[in-house]
Amino acid sequence: MNFLRTHRTIATVIAFVLVYVVTKALYLTGILNTYYIQLIILVGINIVMTVSLGMVNGFTGQFSIGHAGFMAVGAYTSAMITTVWLHASTANPWVGYPIFIVAVLAGGLLAAGAGYLVGAPSLRLKGDYLAIVTLSANELIHAVLNATEAVGGPRGLGGIPKFTTLEVVFVFAIVSVVLMRNYLFSSHGRSMKAVRDSEIAAESTGINTTKQKVFVFVFSAFFAGVSGGVFAHLLQFIDPSSFTFVKSLEYLIYLYVGGATSISGAMVGAAIFTLLPELLRSLQSWRMVIYPLILILTMIFRTEGVMGLKEFSFILIPQRKRKEVSA
Amino acid sequence: MAILDVQHLTQFFGGLRAVSDFNIQMEHGEIVGLIGPNGAGKTTVFNVITGVYTPTKGTIVFDGQNIVGRKTYQITQAGIARTFQTIRLFSKSSVIDNIKIAYHFRMTYGNTDAFLHTRKYWQGEQFVDDYAIDLLRLFHLEGHADDISGSLPYGAQRRLEIARALATKPKLLILDEPAAGMNPAEADQLMETIHWLRDKFDLTILLIEHQMRVVMGVCERIKVMDFGETICEGVPEYIRNDPRVCEAYLGKGA
Repeated sequence: MNFLRTHRTIATVIAFVLVYVVTKALYLTGILNTYYIQLIILVGINIVMTVSLGMVNGFTGQFSIGHAGFMAVGAYTSAMITTVWLHASTANPWVGYPIFIVAVLAGGLLAAGAGYLVGAPSLRLKGDYLAIVTLSANELIHAVLNATEAVGGPRGLGGIPKFTTLEVVFVFAIVSVVLMRNYLFSSHGRSMKAVRDSEIAAESTGINTTKQKVFVFVFSAFFAGVSGGVFAHLLQFIDPSSFTFVKSLEYLIYLYVGGATSISGAMVGAAIFTLLPELLRSLQSWRMVIYPLILILTMIFRTEGVMGLKEFSFILIPQRKRKEVSA
Repeated sequence: MAILDVQHLTQFFGGLRAVSDFNIQMEHGEIVGLIGPNGAGKTTVFNVITGVYTPTKGTIVFDGQNIVGRKTYQITQAGIARTFQTIRLFSKSSVIDNIKIAYHFRMTYGNTDAFLHTRKYWQGEQFVDDYAIDLLRLFHLEGHADDISGSLPYGAQRRLEIARALATKPKLLILDEPAAGMNPAEADQLMETIHWLRDKFDLTILLIEHQMRVVMGVCERIKVMDFGETICEGVPEYIRNDPRVCEAYLGKGA
């Protein structure tokens, strides 16, 4: 059983290294230009955003619709640290990258703090209150950023050093997804699903449902914050309009089309919808017809999303063989 | 000393008095039934004991501790487990996960172990897997361990709900209409199961049931409620012949 466990892990690692090597080779040989590389990096960021949103909406059964707000907190915090306060640059990577990592984690922590402020009071309530509160929080963060001159106000924050490379996003996306996957396949992850299936039954089996919900919400906001930081150091320019409610809605669409109750589904949804606008580029304005059409058709024919409850085998934890059933 | 001692329990919902001056003392190992027509307040009594509602008046002492005002999950952790009138399984989770969830509050690894899958995590998971499969085996559900619980047949879902309650290792088990929807053969089997549960898990059992055959067959003592009041109390033979009970169920002159 130990053999199988390590075996599959090795296979998965090899697969990801191959994907990286192939992408990098295509870039170096000029087949993929910088624009496509940027697109692939965005896929990585969007995967982490969507998977973290799925932790709250898909697996814990709460309805958060302000995920971009936490992304904004992380993006602005990390950008302020690297750009305005510490003037980090990519010139000396031995100084630059540690600062970048600290800045991005600080952004995640601040987003987690914001998540706690939003989640702690509203997750005590049952029902749809969280949706209203998260929506308002998203708009509040947007409005505060717009009004704060120190972070550029509506003009935005530019001149951010470009730390986010293909390598950075590979490591970031894999580590984030593995951490969330691990949590989901644990006793704590099972109680998340219990809260989703029946909150009253979860309480009566001894689970502190409020604590569980708040914790998931906080770490989901953390990953959104870190994603925001990685995002800011990719585009090198951020402004409040990148983090509006519309952005949150996009992540909801990625999640529900891919499959909210599946990590693989969240990944597939994020990848499809990040790449789709490019694949449909030749259709020009007609792509805006295709896009909602895909949504409608998925919701009619696969209500539970593309993946449903299924996971790719590399997401699953290999199960040990149980002792034989004695008659 | 009584394991459960409920004194002068009264529950108002707005102006409606759902339960008034309810008293019960249960000794360790007893099986007590709570009966009465629909709307008599039986389930409300259960919900108050398990912390779903905070009682308007009265005290509930369980195992020497006053549990009034505690949250449902705290009361479960103190040792009271329950099943529901309408089945409430974690229907999208597997059968074995339903059991494991009920053991969650006893698991020793924390959030960090969960994120990093440390050795402590693997040990904990191995232990809980053994624990859950052993418990499922007692309820003849081990063959369904990895099935989605919502897909089980009705009788198996009822059994799983009881197994899940037991996974919390309770001292007092509260069953809300365990025989609901069962045919006579299944009900007979349930009666055997309840006795077996009490002996095997060293339990005290409080149950609501409408099927008189089950109540009379399994309970050592019965309390009858009507319109929130306790109208009668005693051994099954006494209850069976009490005119007030007939009146509550069938009306005057029956």
